Formats: sequence, C-alpha cells, structure tokens
Amino acid sequence: MAYWEPITALDERPLVQPGSTLKDITNDIAGVTETKAPRGWWIGFLIALTFAGIFTVCVGYLFYRGVGVWGNTSPVYWAWDITNFVWWVGIGHAGTLISAILFIFRQRWRTAINRFAEAMTIFAVICALIFPGIHVGRVWVVYYMFPVPNQMSLWPNFKSPLIWDLFAVGTYFTVSLLFWYVGLIPDLATLRDRSQTPMRQRVYGFFALGWRGSNRHWRNYERAYLILAAISTPLVLSVHSVVSMDFATSVIPGWHTTIFPPYFVAGAVFSGFAMVQTVLLIARSVFKLNRVVLMRHLELMNKFLLLTSLLVGYAYAMEFFMAWYSGNQYEMAHFLHNRPTGPYWWAWLWMVIPNCLVPHLYWFKRFRTSIPVMFVVSILINIGMWFERFVIIVSSLNRDFLPSSWGLFRPTIIDVGTFTGTIGVFFTLFLLFMRWLPMVSMTEVKGTMPQADPHYHPKDALARAGGHDQAHGLGDAPVAGGLVPEGAE
Amino acid sequence: MSKRAPYTSLPVHVDEQPEFAKGHVETPPSDEALMLGRRGLMGAMAATFALVGAEGCRRPLERVVPYGKMPEDVIPGIPSHYATVLQRRGDALGLIVESHEGRPTKIEGNEGHPSSFGGADLVAQASILELYDPERSTSPRKGGAPATWADFDRELSARLAAYDKDQGVRLRLLMPPTLSPTVVRMRGALAQRFPKARVHTWSAVADSNVREGARLAFGKPMVPVNLFDRARFILSLDSDFLQTESGAVRAAKGFAMSRRLRSARESMNRLYVVEPARTLTGNMADHRLRLAAGDVERYAYALAAELIKQGVNLGPELTASVSRHAGADGIPARWLGAVARDLSGNRGRALVVVGARQPAVVHALAHAINAGLGAVGAAVTYAPVADPDELDAAVDIKALADAMAANQVDGLVILGGNPVLDAPADLAFGDKLARVPFSVHASLFVDETSDKCSWHVPRAHEFECWGDLQGLDGTIAVQQPLIAPLYAGRDDITLLAQLASSPEKTDHEAVRNTANGLLLATRQLFACGVPDAVGKLPCRDASGNAIPVHLYDLDREWNRALSAGVLQRAPARQASAAAAGAAIAAGIDGRKVAPRGAGNFEATFAPCPKMVDGRYANNTWLQEMPDPSTKLVWDNAAILSPASARELGVDSKDFVTITAGGRSVTAAVWVVPGQADHSVGLTLGWGRTRAGRIGNGKGFDFYPLRTTDALGFASGVTLSKTGDAPYFFAQTQENDSTEGRPIAHEATLAEYQKSPNFSELDAPPLRALPLWEQADYSKGHQWGMSIDLNACTGCSACVIACMSENNVPVVGKREVWRGREMHWLRIDRYYVERADIGATAEEPAVVYEPLACVHCEEAPCENVCPVNATVHGSEGLNEMVYNRCIGTRYCANNCPYKVRRFNYLNWHNDVVWKETGGLPETLAMQQNPNVTVRFRGVMEKCTYCVQRIQSAKIKAKREYRQVRDGEIRTACQQTCPSDAIVFGDVNDPNTAVSRAVRIDRRFGLLAELGTRPRTTYLGKVRNPNPEMA
Repeated sequence: MAYWEPITALDERPLVQPGSTLKDITNDIAGVTETKAPRGWWIGFLIALTFAGIFTVCVGYLFYRGVGVWGNTSPVYWAWDITNFVWWVGIGHAGTLISAILFIFRQRWRTAINRFAEAMTIFAVICALIFPGIHVGRVWVVYYMFPVPNQMSLWPNFKSPLIWDLFAVGTYFTVSLLFWYVGLIPDLATLRDRSQTPMRQRVYGFFALGWRGSNRHWRNYERAYLILAAISTPLVLSVHSVVSMDFATSVIPGWHTTIFPPYFVAGAVFSGFAMVQTVLLIARSVFKLNRVVLMRHLELMNKFLLLTSLLVGYAYAMEFFMAWYSGNQYEMAHFLHNRPTGPYWWAWLWMVIPNCLVPHLYWFKRFRTSIPVMFVVSILINIGMWFERFVIIVSSLNRDFLPSSWGLFRPTIIDVGTFTGTIGVFFTLFLLFMRWLPMVSMTEVKGTMPQADPHYHPKDALARAGGHDQAHGLGDAPVAGGLVPEGAE
Repeated sequence: MSKRAPYTSLPVHVDEQPEFAKGHVETPPSDEALMLGRRGLMGAMAATFALVGAEGCRRPLERVVPYGKMPEDVIPGIPSHYATVLQRRGDALGLIVESHEGRPTKIEGNEGHPSSFGGADLVAQASILELYDPERSTSPRKGGAPATWADFDRELSARLAAYDKDQGVRLRLLMPPTLSPTVVRMRGALAQRFPKARVHTWSAVADSNVREGARLAFGKPMVPVNLFDRARFILSLDSDFLQTESGAVRAAKGFAMSRRLRSARESMNRLYVVEPARTLTGNMADHRLRLAAGDVERYAYALAAELIKQGVNLGPELTASVSRHAGADGIPARWLGAVARDLSGNRGRALVVVGARQPAVVHALAHAINAGLGAVGAAVTYAPVADPDELDAAVDIKALADAMAANQVDGLVILGGNPVLDAPADLAFGDKLARVPFSVHASLFVDETSDKCSWHVPRAHEFECWGDLQGLDGTIAVQQPLIAPLYAGRDDITLLAQLASSPEKTDHEAVRNTANGLLLATRQLFACGVPDAVGKLPCRDASGNAIPVHLYDLDREWNRALSAGVLQRAPARQASAAAAGAAIAAGIDGRKVAPRGAGNFEATFAPCPKMVDGRYANNTWLQEMPDPSTKLVWDNAAILSPASARELGVDSKDFVTITAGGRSVTAAVWVVPGQADHSVGLTLGWGRTRAGRIGNGKGFDFYPLRTTDALGFASGVTLSKTGDAPYFFAQTQENDSTEGRPIAHEATLAEYQKSPNFSELDAPPLRALPLWEQADYSKGHQWGMSIDLNACTGCSACVIACMSENNVPVVGKREVWRGREMHWLRIDRYYVERADIGATAEEPAVVYEPLACVHCEEAPCENVCPVNATVHGSEGLNEMVYNRCIGTRYCANNCPYKVRRFNYLNWHNDVVWKETGGLPETLAMQQNPNVTVRFRGVMEKCTYCVQRIQSAKIKAKREYRQVRDGEIRTACQQTCPSDAIVFGDVNDPNTAVSRAVRIDRRFGLLAELGTRPRTTYLGKVRNPNPEMA
C-alpha cells in the first residue's frame, strides 16, 4: 500500500479529486487570473462596486453632517456602527483560524480554503476597521487614539478597552496581512512565470520577491510560514476576546459579563466559517473549482459550524442562567424580560433561531452534503450572527438602569447604506482578489496530492486507476513556481 | 455671584445718544438693520460704540470703536448684575439679570424680592431668549407694509387731534391686566385728555374670578396672599398654585419649607388636591382626587356643609345656602369627612385655595371657609390690587367687541396681548377688529392681532424699558432696562404718554415720577411743588407744614431701590374685612349646580406651563421643555383618562374632534392616568399660526372652543374619533414606571419616623469595588450636591436655567423623538402605585427626580474614554474636555445614569436654525461667554457650573480668603423655587451641603454599582392622612 493513499480504515479520503495532475491544479487556479473573466464575475463585480459606491456616498454624507445621520441616539449611543464592526471582525476570524491553527494541527484539508479564508480575513478586517474610524464624532482628530508624542503631552488612556481594541485589531490585521502575503509568494511566482504580458510579469514579479523555488527559498518560506502561524494562533483568541472587553468591562446589564471573551471567540469562528462557506460556494460554482474544493471540505466545515453553534448556544444559555442565578435585578430584567420580550424581541429570535437551531440540521449527513442547504444555512448564520451583535449592543443599551432614559434605536437609510455598502466594499475587494490572485493556494494543494509523496510513482497510480494513462502530470509542472515540496521526486 | 452685592443701576443713555436713536428709529426696516442692531445697541449701552446704519448698501457698514473712555461699572470679562422685575400673571417676580458688557445673558431670582426670594420659574428663565428672538418685530407696519415711527407719529397725532373734539368717545384702549402703578397713572392722564375714551382689559389667563370672588366676599377686589410656609393642611380646589397660578414662585418657596425635612422629628405639611387634569400641584399632592372641573364647585359646597357639621362657623346665611346646594354624588365619602376633619381639626394651620378658573363664588366661599378655619392672618392675608379699575376680563372684552360690532369704535389701541388669537371664540374678535378704521397693535411680534390691525408698532421688551410692578403682596419694584431696545420698540408707558400727550415723555421720567410720589407718600409728604434752583422740593406734610425735600434724597432712595430691586415693601399685613356671608350665600343661590349626566364630557382650559397663553410659542427653550406631566415636547395634546379613552375607542396619538357649542377642533389625544374621567384637559397657547418660524403650527389651538361664558371649562362637549393616521408626538421620557427598581426612594411620614434611613435600607448593597486605586478626596474643596426629592415640585425652572447658563442647544421635535435632546439636567417623572396612599394604575402618584451628571468619584465614563477626554479633577468634578473629545460615545454608553449628551449633529446650523444659516446673531448674544459652545461630535454634560466655581475661587483668592459656603450657586440651585438643590463643599462639615448629605433620608442613586456619586438625593416623604386609606 502506498503512503500517498488515503487510509480508508481511518476514513481518510483524497483531498483533491483523484486523478488530478499538478498541471490541472495550476491551470485551474492560475488560469482564472489569465483568461477573460466569466460573465458571473462581471455581474457580481458591478453589483459589489455599486454598493461600494453607496458606501462612499454614505460615508461622505456622514462626514459632512455628523454621526446624527445614523440612527444612534441616547441611550443607544452605539448601534449599527459597532454591530457591523464586531460582525466584520468576527468574520475575519475564520481566515487565521483556518490558516494558522489548522495548519499547526496538520489539518491538511484546509489547503482548499485557506487562501480564501485569509483573503476574507483581510477584507473583513478592513471593513471592520472602517467603523471605529468613521463612527466617532470628530473623525478629523481620530488620531488622538494613537500614542503619538505631541506638544500637549497627552497620551491615550490605556485603561480604556477601546485602546486595547485598537491594538488588538491592528495587530491582528498586520499579522494576517503578512501571513497571507507570505503564503502567496510561491503562487505569485507561478503567475509571474506564466505571464504573457510584460505588465503582468513586472507586477507579479515585484510581489513575488524574486522567488525561484530554490531549496533555500523553500526552507525559509516554510519556516516563516510556521512562525507566522504560531504568532497568529494566539491572536485568533485574543482579538475577539479584546473586542468583547469593550462590552465586558462596562457596567451595562447585558454587557457586564465575564463569559464574553470565549463566547465572542466561539461566535467569531462560527460566523467566520459561515462567511467563508458563503463565499466559497459562490466561487466554486462561478470558477468551477470542483476539483479542488470537494464535498469533503464542505462537510468538514459544516461539522465545524455545528460545533461552534453548540458553543455559541451554550454561551447564550449561560447568560440567561447567570442572570437568573445572580439574582441581580437589572440583569434579570435585561436577560429574562428585555431580550426575549422587549422591543427587540424579533432581533432576539433572529439571533437564536439561525445560530442555535438551524445548524442542528448538520447532524444529518444529507444536509451536511447538500450545497443548497449549506448555502442557505451559511447565509442564515451570517444574518444570525449580525443580529447577535445587534442584540448585545442595541438591546442592552436601549433599556439600562434608569427607566426614564429608556429609548428606542431606529435605523436611518444611511445606516442601511453604510452597512450594505461595506458588504459591497468587501465583495469588491474579494472579486478583485479572485480575478488577480490565485484564490486557492496552488502550492499547498499540491502538497496534499499523491504526487507530493516521495514514494509516489505514476505507474502505481496508473495501475490503481485501472490502466488509464492520465496521471503523468508531475513532469508537466512548471519548473520554478508552484513546484511540489522539495524532494518530491 | 457673590452674596448679592448691591446691583448696579443703569445709566440712562438712550436720551444722550441722538445718533443712535436716529440711526435706529428711522432706518428703513431691513435685514441690515437687524444685523446692525447688536453692535449699535451695545454701543448705546456702553455709550462708547458708535454705528452708522447702512442705507441701501449691499453690505452693512460697521465701525467698531474701542472704549475711549471706560464706562463706569463695565469691566470686560466681568459680568454685572442688575435687579429688575417681570410680570408673571398676577405677580411681579423680582429678578437679577447677569449682563456681559451690556449684553444680558442670564436671569436669576432676586433674593431681596418677596415674590422670588431667589427663585424664578421656567418662563422667567426663558424670557431672556424672548428678548433676543430674531423674529421680533423690527419696525412699525401700516396695513402690513413696513413704515417708520415718524409715519406712525404723524398719523397718530392727526387721529388724536380728531378724537379731542368728542373727548375720545370713539377711542378705545385694550391692554392686559397691569400691575404697574405708572401705567395706572398714565391711564389716568389719558382719561384726562379723553374723558370718554374707555380702557378695556383682557388676558386669556386673567385672574378675574379671583378678583370677583374677593369682591363678592369683601365688597372690594383684594388679592389673597396664601402663606404656604405657615399653612400645614392645604386643600387645593383646582388650583395649580405651584406652577401656573399667580405667585407660583412664592408659593413654591413657602410650600417647600416644611417639605425639606431635616430629621424625622420635624413635621411636614399635607396637601390635598382636587383637580381634573394633572398639574404640578396635583403631582405634589399627598392625596389627589381627580374630579371634573365642573364638579369642583359641588365639591366645595359639599365640603363646606361637612365643615359646618364639624363645627366650623360660616355664618347663618352661608350655612343655610350651602346645605341647600350640597350634594355628594360621585364624590368619595372620605374626601368629605376625612378632609373636613383634617382641616377643621387644624384651625389656624389649614388653608383652602381655589384655582383661577373656578367661578368667583367658589373663591368667595373659600374666603369664608378660610375665615371659619382661622386661616386669615395665619395662613392667608389679603393685599390691595394694583389696578382698582380692572373689570372682569370676559365682560370687558365682550363690551369692546359689542362696541366694535356696533361701529362705536373709531380708534383702538391694543398694548400687548393677542386678542385675535385668544379672545373668546364667540366674540369673533378678529372680524370685528378688521372693521375698526384705526387700530394699532403694539407687540413684540407681528402676530395674529397685528395682521388684523391697520397699524402694528414694535413694543419694547420688559428688559428694554423702564417700568414698575406691584407684586401679589403689594411690594413695588422697579423694572429697569438691561439693554436699549434691540428693535426700536416703544414701551407701553411711552405709548400711553404719547396718547395722553403727557408732559412725561419717556418711560424713565414717568417711572421716576411715580417712584418719587411713592417715596414722598411713605414720608407722609404731599403737594410738592416744582424744585427750586438748588434742587429742593417744597412739600407739605399731612398737617400742612412746609417741609423741603432735597432731590438728592430722592435720588439716593431711587438708586437704593434699583440696586435692591425693591422700591417699596408690602404694607403691613392686612387685617381683612370679614367675608360677607349674605352676599356669598346669594351668589351660591344664583348658581345652578347638578351632577353631570353620564357620558357628558367637559373640556378644561388651562394656561400652558410653558407657552402661558401662547406668547412664548416662538421660544425654542420652552418648546423643547418637556411638559412636567406628560413629558411631551413641541406639542400639547387633548388629555384623556384611560377609561375615557377606552370609552371613545381612542389611544394616545389618535385624533379626535372636540365639539363645544357648535365649534370644533381636531386634536391628537394623549392618555394620562390621573386625568378625570369624562374630562378632556386642554392647554392653551399652542397651534399658533403667526408666532414665527419656531412657534407656527406646533400643537393644537384650543381657543376656538373657549367662549365668554366658559373661559375655564366647558361642559356638554362631545368627542369623536376621526380615524386619521396617528399623530407624531415626541417625549423626552417614554417610560413612566420605575419598574420596581430602587431608584427614587420614598416613604410615608409614619414610615419615615419609624425608619429614618429608609432610603439606604431600601437601596441594594454595594456590589462593586473600585477598579483602580482610589484618589485622595480628603483635601481641598470637594464639590457635591444634594437634591431633596421631597422638596422638588418638578417645575423644571432648573432645566431652563441650566440651558441658559450653559449654552445648551435645542434640537427640535424629530431629534427629541430620536432621543437626542441635549438637556444637561432632566427631571425624571415616575408614576408610583402604592395602595397605602391610594395610588393605583388608573391614578398613580408621582415622584420627580431631577438628574444631571452626579459626578461619580469612581466614574464609569472616565475609565472607558480612549483619549482621556473625561477625567477627574482634584476637587471631585468629573470634567469634560471638549477639545480632547473625539466622540466615541463610549462614556455615554457606560454611564448608568445616561446623563451625557452627544452633539450628533451641528444642532444650530443643520437642524434648528438651518433656514437662517445658523444660530441667529441675536440669539448668539444670549450665550454665556464663560461657557464653551460645543461643536458637533463632542460629548457634553453637567459641569456643576464649573465656570461659577472658578470665578468664585478667583474672587476669593484675590481677596485672600476661602470660598464661602453659598458663594457658589449652580444655575439650577439658584433658580429652584423650592430650594431642593444644595451645592457646596462636602469636605467642610459646616457647609449647607454637608449638613444636607448627613440627613437620614440620603441615598446615592445607583450607588450599588460602586460609582460613589457626588450628587446624592434625599428620599421623598409622603404625608397621607391615615383616615383616607
């Protein structure tokens, strides 16, 4: 029995469609960036660009008039702005989780989706970072947040969780960007080598940093990648923990909760996976990536969604339990009355049903492996997780301690425009990414193929494949970039 | 802010500034003139600026001239304070006005004036904004077209010359009731010139019934002066004496005296209120009976009968008459028996007060009851009226309307008021007025009445002219101008002098002469001749001896009167004539009272606590001031009880058509628990059409329902649902209940005596320890505040005082609906249901809780600000650094009190004053130069009036002394008519605030969160009658 074969006794299955050659992989993935964009891409891009335009207009108006163009009010001083921020940061979690943690745990199935997820992280964190930037009353002095030495001898208040937040998200963004970029280098070199025009050659060549695929390059690359993965791993846990402290360190019932850090991390992973799945399913059908993104990957993701859904559901239940168990009047009024029966009861249902009930479909293999089901479920989870943040932020604030100051938040058209606008920004960036960069890591996918095994021999494969001579792709692989790991032959 | 040093008197500059007068009076009215006004008038004030009007220029020409000669009393940066007086219904409220370089900015009560004792009400506080209203009339108008004063003067003198021929038989004058001795005197001068001309009096909120009631009881009009500081058992019959009735400030001062309990050993007063619609007074009541206004008279008779049964002697005629009319249908038995026992058992300490809208006979009966209860001299005294010739307003305006209808009026001069808006609807005053060939309306605004008159002339504001006013108790004070007329207005006295062609040409001269007369009269000197060359006035005393008086003596007295704010104290307490039982009995016998049939609705008309009769409709502060009972802003509503609303099938915001006597009005409903069933509460002064940009179309105008015979309330009213889409209301507080939370502690007096520290016992235990190392608060000044919930009446004067002092912006109705009002200080109003005081869901009791930043020592807002924009000062203030704030709003989220306010938009430029391109220049003149005007995007909140703290500290430092207790008074504390707010240094055990925070009723709001608030509260104590339970 060959080493490169999946061990069926362990329920292992091929991670790439059997019979694929290395060339197939390169052509499939690099080809997307080299051929004319399919009609689906153009349609999607124009829609996304429209929303990005709406976003620009809304933000311009926001800057011109002030935060009052949104529906934020007293006592709901934060509303969709921070809801969107937390939602986007949460989405940005899957990338690093898939890339770093699963990498360290040698979950090789991640290779089909990690590039995607990393790109998604970058773009989601960009969308997230927009909100703290634009939601302040005086955007023109937002730099007061940074510890910039100045003649006023004023310094940020390091007691404030917002400062922790700034550093946490900023660090996360920087490391994620580096991680993503380092992972891209060999693939960029492949694109450079396949370039048909001098322009592509120059641009890809610049970003490929002179990659030649030498042994030393590979050694450094692998080491750097591992180190970055190790740096990223704690960040996955820390960033959303810190974001949750914006709420957890406050005094407001519904925010003042010690369960928030793990609860937020679980929620973030949950929403991140859902978003990866949404995007992945679209890309898979538009760019025909069936060879690389197998049902097995999708099913594994669904199992992960089920797990995180249970974690999130546990956190929800524990909040209610603790409110009751504490005997605290304000906590009880909030969790037992205001959330399920207050003015935002419908938002609470939007949070509970998609996040806690719908994923239970995935106990059944039939649903786990149905593309339409998982597409709908992933969208529902995205919505549900947005409402989770809405419930935490708005419904906690709208009724706090003194009933005299209770009040409702009512969104404005600018709120809607800004939020949907960031979705437009996200997809604009994402579609550009899919068009111009290898959306699946060719290098890493090839590493999971039988051809990557030092003991692999096409003849064996041939024999096992029943005599059809199709698995001879090794020799067709480009020389420099996208090569199988060292010693493949 | 020091201990009321003598207030400066203003030099008279207007006469000395002919250029000014010319430049302003004769400038053709235009926007340029309006814009130029400020500098020019400041110039007049300081007598050093000069200005030339810009005729026909595209851009105004301005000359800024520096102080060539330093004017006396004006030190740049140091405000001066002037004493003046303001008419508030039937009382004259003594005020101190703060002025910055000739620019009045802030109103405060005058501690030396007995109607104020330092307090002021919300309307007085807001009147400073009226002064600067950019939409005030700027020039005379003839037939709606701009004209000049010269045109007016020419036409007037021609007309008057014609009237001289027939002694003015076709000339009429209409003015609101006056309290001014000079106006009364000038009217006499007018009568000399035109003996046959008639003067009519009208105001929609006149005290005619009070006056006529006294006339019925005593044979002559008198003003009852209720001594609430002495009365311990008070029954109010439909009287809102704490807010809208005459003398509300003095009433609140007295009433609160026995409410500020310093220990459980002290006694407190007990207030019974019988009223149809919730008022401030009803909300303060220990027992409140919701009763239709039309049934109050029956209640009064039944109570009188019950009192007679308890042995109160009302005289034989009244005893007989009352027993004939007493019927107790629909009145709970305990409201007769127990109340009567309580009143009759506390003779000399019991008092019955009657609201101005109740018929005169009820007032007369109350005088008799008070006499029977031994209250006269003990709990009520009687003062002479200011204007003995005043008639019943309804009769008087009807007489004028009839004369106009009969074409007997050729010339009508209306001094102030707005009769086209507020005259009884059945008179169709506007139509009749339009027929008068020569009609003149002098008013601040070009309003509904101005439109119907052939001439409109701008009237000077009370803060722009000289005058004198007699207070409720007879105290006479001088009204001195704070600024030369901003818009070339003329005051009533000058206009009257002009009509009478009096030798006294100016308001100053006339008022001075009146004052001299009064001063000489107090010395028993009469018949003074013309002063001689050395300034000696030959006078004679009562026995005819010649006594020369030096004019400088009079000058000294006058200056003293100006600086103290009081010209002549009230006469010694009057021993009142006994009430004439027979006359009252005859009055009662002439009345028909019967229980209303089932389903028969009545409508009650009340002056709005904010708009009064509509005159303040264009005032943004008052528009945005939440109604003390409904918390509605920018609107009034038809108030219905829950049961009546159910019966009509309507709910809050639904429209109803209210029909009374064939006239109908469509208005939106607001359901208020505690409103009497089958009684719709209507507040006047809303729904204006010619108020100005701010006031037009706000709320609903109920004047069309109000007729001559039903000025107070109308019965036989029908209401029907219209089915229109619900109206859009905005409230500042949308939740009425405390939700059972321990946030406004209260107890009955018995509970308080049993458990003096009930507030702390009811509060949850502290459950959070400080997050950070605690600061040392043991050194230096440590500012703190104590608010007595038992004294607070919820009148909201403090809210306006805070807006005025701290340049708090107004945001408009829609933004309030969103929840973005900017009030630094708000008054939370909670409905309380308590079985032991008879407060149920249908008629809950009320507790008011004023709330501004409580300046937590462990402030949740400070920890979370990322940029250190809100930090703690060494004196315990939670300080807001506006130019450091970037507006993350995290502090406001984390504030458990939600007292922080965020500038979501540029309120002035983009919201309220968008059409004028920003805050009008005149309104900007009102702003306090010592307080930063905040830009959009920053957070703001109560600062404990840090500017006042700083100026007092600077002053103390310059005088090498410590800041004295009471030297620093926050704006809210200063104006509070019930002295519920105490501020000072809590580090010094001898200060008033330290004594207050040691009172056993003390509690810290939400202190269980570990915030350690610097503002603490004293729990409310109710004093129910055990018999009423």
